[in-house]
Amino acid sequence: MGFHSIKNAARAALFAGLGLVAVTAHAAKSTDDAFWNMPEGVTPTSHDVYGIHMMVFWWCVGIGIVVFGAMIYSLVMFRHSKGAKPAQFHDSTTLEIAWTIAPVIILIAMAIPAAKTLVRMTDASDPEMSIKITGYQWKWQYDYLQDGFSFFSMLAASSDQASQLHSGIDPASVDHYLRDVDHPLVVPTGEKIRLLITSDDVIHSWWMPDFGGKTDGNPGFVNLTWIKVEEPGVYRGACAELCGRWHGFMPIVVVAKTPADYQAWVKAMKAANGKYVSPYDGSLEDVGSPVVFDTTNYNSMMGTPTGAAVPTGSNVSPPVAASPNAGAVGQAQNTNDSKPATAAAAPATPAKWDMQTAMDKGKQVYAQNCAACHMPDGTGNPEMGAPAFHTSAIANGPVAAHIQRVLKGKGAMPAWGNMLDDLSIAAVITFERNSFGNHKGDVVKPSDVAAAR
Amino acid sequence: MSAVTLDHDHHGEHHPSGLWRWVTTTNHKDIGTLYLLFSLLMFFIGGSFAMVIRAELFKPGMQLVDPVVFNEMTTMHALIMIFGAIMPAFVGLANWMIPIMIGAPDMALPRMNNWSFWILPFAFTLLIGTIFMPGGGPAGGWTMYPPLMLQTGTAFPFVIFAVHMMGISSVMGAINIVVTILNLRAPKMTLLKMPLFVWSWFITAYLLIAVMPVLAGAVTMLLTDKYFGTSFFSAAGGGDPVMFQHIFWFFGHPEVYIMILPAFGIVSEIIPTFSRKPLFGYESMVYAVASIAFLSFIVWAHHMFTVGMPLAGELFFMFTTMLIAVPTGVKVFNWTSTMWKGSISFETPMLFAVAFLFLFTIGGFSGVMCAMVPADFQYQDSYFVVAHFHYVLVTGAAFAIMGSVYYWLPKWTGHMYNEKLGKLHFWCSTIFVNVLFFPQHFLGLAGMPRRIPDYPVQFTDLNMLSSIGGFLFGASQLIFLYVVISTIRGGDKAPAKPWEGAKGLEWHLPSPPPYHSWTTPPDKEVWEHPYRD
Repeated sequence: MGFHSIKNAARAALFAGLGLVAVTAHAAKSTDDAFWNMPEGVTPTSHDVYGIHMMVFWWCVGIGIVVFGAMIYSLVMFRHSKGAKPAQFHDSTTLEIAWTIAPVIILIAMAIPAAKTLVRMTDASDPEMSIKITGYQWKWQYDYLQDGFSFFSMLAASSDQASQLHSGIDPASVDHYLRDVDHPLVVPTGEKIRLLITSDDVIHSWWMPDFGGKTDGNPGFVNLTWIKVEEPGVYRGACAELCGRWHGFMPIVVVAKTPADYQAWVKAMKAANGKYVSPYDGSLEDVGSPVVFDTTNYNSMMGTPTGAAVPTGSNVSPPVAASPNAGAVGQAQNTNDSKPATAAAAPATPAKWDMQTAMDKGKQVYAQNCAACHMPDGTGNPEMGAPAFHTSAIANGPVAAHIQRVLKGKGAMPAWGNMLDDLSIAAVITFERNSFGNHKGDVVKPSDVAAAR
Repeated sequence: MSAVTLDHDHHGEHHPSGLWRWVTTTNHKDIGTLYLLFSLLMFFIGGSFAMVIRAELFKPGMQLVDPVVFNEMTTMHALIMIFGAIMPAFVGLANWMIPIMIGAPDMALPRMNNWSFWILPFAFTLLIGTIFMPGGGPAGGWTMYPPLMLQTGTAFPFVIFAVHMMGISSVMGAINIVVTILNLRAPKMTLLKMPLFVWSWFITAYLLIAVMPVLAGAVTMLLTDKYFGTSFFSAAGGGDPVMFQHIFWFFGHPEVYIMILPAFGIVSEIIPTFSRKPLFGYESMVYAVASIAFLSFIVWAHHMFTVGMPLAGELFFMFTTMLIAVPTGVKVFNWTSTMWKGSISFETPMLFAVAFLFLFTIGGFSGVMCAMVPADFQYQDSYFVVAHFHYVLVTGAAFAIMGSVYYWLPKWTGHMYNEKLGKLHFWCSTIFVNVLFFPQHFLGLAGMPRRIPDYPVQFTDLNMLSSIGGFLFGASQLIFLYVVISTIRGGDKAPAKPWEGAKGLEWHLPSPPPYHSWTTPPDKEVWEHPYRD
């Protein structure tokens, strides 16, 4: 290979490299149409963050061109095989000083905008509303502190099914595979929303690329951040701190609505009596966990004495200050003057409640909630303290004790009474007592569960 | 091991032969060999866990393993690579080369040296054995954050014990290195006349002594939290899970410099040799290593920017982390200046050293990007970070180790390795390692978290590409295994100085050197630092 063609080759490589860099710099608005780069996002923070990212990126490209250029030049021009004679110089104090000071100056130039951005990003003062976000193994709980309701948000059933080992279902056939949930978080655009992030068990992290970043949820402590979503839309994120078996399976979906639409949704939620109102089409959702009209919910999870958390439209007690374990959760102000509807309690047992109905429903509840620890085949996980059902004294003993165990939990097992409604709990207990080698023949009624709370 | 010959010395000592020789040896060459072979084995074991990871991530959906098993693979891959492959390889190189390079007959504490090595097979049998225990191996990440780590079952105490044993091995080895360097240098060899590889290990040894006990403390607190009713990391008892992260990363950040400073030393030996030119800026290079080591103690929280630290803390750690780029950059500039106006040839060791220069620098760039806290709120716990640290650890530390093996294999074994195969190994490794890790930058930017066994379909193409790179990179390492084994067993006879431009005491000894070398320390004329006037 001749001398000239190596130089040309190097030049070609440089341009190809720059081209790749330019393609890389192509920005996307949101993660849904992200290609090679971080999304610019839809909040002031996300724009700032994108700006810092691109600034440091271009600095690195520039420095890289100079440094790699010098390296490539040396490797090409000073080859032994081409007869190069080595010089013997081996130091220069001037150069050492120069290439110590120059990087320091460049770093200061980068540090100033970065520090300014950080100060802006961490200023959560004067929010217009607050939402508390609690990470669980393996779902999120969203608590609307002003409006007085909360609900759980977990991986959508379609994704859950397709993601099972050897499911045979092609993920490409599932809508928003692993980025879809049963109950999205709904927020208004244009308002500064303070987010209070914590966890019930292990460390989780709430990551929304379109909102500019993530904040860890540490159990027993509350972290503070804020968002102000500029455009209505659906935004998707994920848990970003290893939290156990289904860390990759607890995504986040946020539906941002105009303030008017948001208020309409809140009103519909309060009127829906425990059902979740879809932000997409307003339909009432009959599956998954209920909307709970009681922020004392949190206190009963932590074990501080409180009235039972009844899920269906009972009297709303005023929002209470956080339990001592919760850290600095601010007093939730009930600024919304329309009270949640206090409807008569919905019939505790639906018209048709037999073994088949209960088993069908119970199977679904089991797969979504219990299988993680008790295993899809009911054989349990002794390491975690989750017994197998066919040998379990509880599953084979009196129904009342089984109901209490599911309602109150024990050890690593959460108190499902705070997360599932009577119908779901009745169904799953029925399912457990008549599956996995058990044939108790019991059909547990939702009214039995309600009475046991 | 016929390549290292017994020396019939004057005192008529008897050296045991066969297996017992290796169990009882106090000879730095034997112990160096043991460490290096052990690390090669661990490299393949840790690498096979990575193959499981990349196989599961080849397509979206779960095809191969339960998510918990996947988490075990990521945890064990890291623990084995860090504590079983990279660190023991560097210790093996230290054992082989430091006494020779300073004109000493052996390490200062030869019996402790033997114990330092032999702890490791026991520690790793315990660690790897947890995979076969009920409940499986640890699955909380190599970073072992509570409360998740406290959900580990039967494996838990074994993991903690294994970590303690590895730590003890490292600390004893580090003490040995410090004492050897301070006391056994040839007469008139002042510190600033030592080879840079020796300097880099001297400083690394202090880092090890300082931080391994901190890790021991952290994992002991995990142990007592689980079994003895303490609540260091539990809010309910007045503790804080984030405190674990602070303690862990106070160890963890110097740890990553422990894994790179010896690599810097290796590159500082190889590049001057194949440029036929002295290392540029010897003293600056020493000060740079020392500055990096000092700064490494005050940057730890950059691994934790998203935990909810106060603003002042975030700013402090951002500034110190950015600062550590300065001495690192100085080193890159000095290596480049060494090549500038040199007379460069491209034997396999030099290929690895040059690849180190390019690719470690890319890892450094992504590191500077991660230092910018606002941007790090997006990068943290995503594949961007995974790409960053694999660039600095694989194309950084691991390439330097491979380069050093090619560089010194002729000396250790007395045989030249097959240069064509060496180059083949190099090119396959370099191309495939980039196919494996470069796409991961984009995956992280696009929103893919780390430590997940399954992902949304928009990440499919880059994951598939990365996995293909992974399989091919893994397969390429079999070439390395073949080269190492066949060179030990035979090959062209290696002269004392196979590399024309090589300087340093090791090249004044025969290849292979006698079992006991430098029993009389060399004269100043022999070792006089070639870079000093």
